[in-house]
Amino acid sequence: MKNFIEVTELKKVFGDGEDEVHAFGPATININAGEFVSILGPSGCGKSTLMLMVAGLLDSTSGKVEFENKLVNGPKTDIGIMFQDNTLVPWRTVKGNIELQLELRGLNLKDYQEQINNILKSVNLDDFADRYPNELSGGMQQRAAFCQAMIHDPKIILLDEPLGKLDAMTREKIRADFQKLWMVKKPTVIFVTHSIEEAVQLSNRVILITPRPGKIDREINIDLPYPRDLKIKRSPKFTEYVNSIQEVFHKYGVI
Amino acid sequence: MKKFIKWIASGWMLILFFVGFFLFWEYSIPLFDIPRYILPSPSEIVLKGSADLDKLIYYTGVTALETVLGYIIALILGVGFGIAISFSSILRRTLYPFFVSIEMTPKIAFAPLFISWFGFGLMPKVIIVVLVCFFPIVLNAILAFNSLSNELTLFYQSTGASRLKTFFTIRLPAALPQCFVGFKYAAINATVGATIAEFIGSDKGLGFYISIVTGNMRPDLAFAGIFFLTVLGLTVFGFVTMMEKILIPWHISMKRINK
Repeated sequence: MKNFIEVTELKKVFGDGEDEVHAFGPATININAGEFVSILGPSGCGKSTLMLMVAGLLDSTSGKVEFENKLVNGPKTDIGIMFQDNTLVPWRTVKGNIELQLELRGLNLKDYQEQINNILKSVNLDDFADRYPNELSGGMQQRAAFCQAMIHDPKIILLDEPLGKLDAMTREKIRADFQKLWMVKKPTVIFVTHSIEEAVQLSNRVILITPRPGKIDREINIDLPYPRDLKIKRSPKFTEYVNSIQEVFHKYGVI
Repeated sequence: MKKFIKWIASGWMLILFFVGFFLFWEYSIPLFDIPRYILPSPSEIVLKGSADLDKLIYYTGVTALETVLGYIIALILGVGFGIAISFSSILRRTLYPFFVSIEMTPKIAFAPLFISWFGFGLMPKVIIVVLVCFFPIVLNAILAFNSLSNELTLFYQSTGASRLKTFFTIRLPAALPQCFVGFKYAAINATVGATIAEFIGSDKGLGFYISIVTGNMRPDLAFAGIFFLTVLGLTVFGFVTMMEKILIPWHISMKRINK
């Protein structure tokens, strides 16, 4: 049986001639449906480039991406996407921003009112539905952006360092929120990050990317039970995973 | 509350400054023995100006018509071209550099030409107002429609929404704050254009009035004309600022919070 997502010999080169920059690949990755996969690597290794190519939002130089045997050759629309800089627009409230996702997709807002309330409740933003993004803290904004990315129940969620700009405490809290929602809805998640701990805590599998041009160094299956709370994070097995990944990056002189 | 008191306090300071300024003006004229054909006192300006009130009001209407008509045409053309240039790579490589280079020319230098081509009527004045207002509007509109963040672009692409839908739900509202920078700048320029066009060749309007009375050694009436021009300029600018508050209230409140 074929995998849900198949990335074959995917490569990206920006520019041409003397300005040529080999950004990523070639790399081959298979992802199962409902899997939480982290793409972990130092900054500038091309992991965001990889994510955008998988989503069809960026053309690859060579190689191919297939979803359920179908070749990706343009932007994929059955996805939810979230970046370090959120995609909330300042002229809409939190609720209006979640509705933006539905409106752009031509979905009927009336059918989603209950789901909007539920998802806001699940990330403790129900009291802030009518606030504007600039009235919220950075962490609350990212939680609202997460609701925006999830409201249409996408089969695939792409997260590009969504917690990159947040403080340690807020990150911890939002990680727990992400995990909770993922366990309920079980979308396939591709999570781009440079935080080793974050990758180990959330993922079924961590894919380690080398410094530029990014290639796959190895893949590590994280065999820990969900939900991964503080107790699991303090377990020796968790620490072992983190240490082994640190050693790989140490070898590259990244840390 | 504290901010409100502060605002009142700064408002009072402004009023006090104006009162002080006019008092100084009023009393420095006898004090320094300045002849009234050089600089009249504020009280004399009010007195002599009110005798000419009917004419001043009529001329304000004439100049206002030229200003507003020119401004609205510039607005439509500027935003239209701005959008076209933002969305067409051919226009971006041809019209855009052309507009940027014309922007460097002082547009008012064309005024005598337009008068000689189109005569003394309303049209040459409107054209000159359009010319001075068009460039700040179009250049800011191009900037506005090109500055959507990479993330938002990728986001709307991932929804599969049509270009038209994306334009009205994301691109247009996102562009409005920067567009208004151009609208406001143009609003300041509009009365300048109309006035200078009237200086060069006309038989009515405030610019015409000021140049005639100055020639007759009546600076008091010239100042009265300038006063009406100021009121006209403030009204146009105030209207544009009000539209900004109505159309993009989220932007105004954002600025207030960031302070």
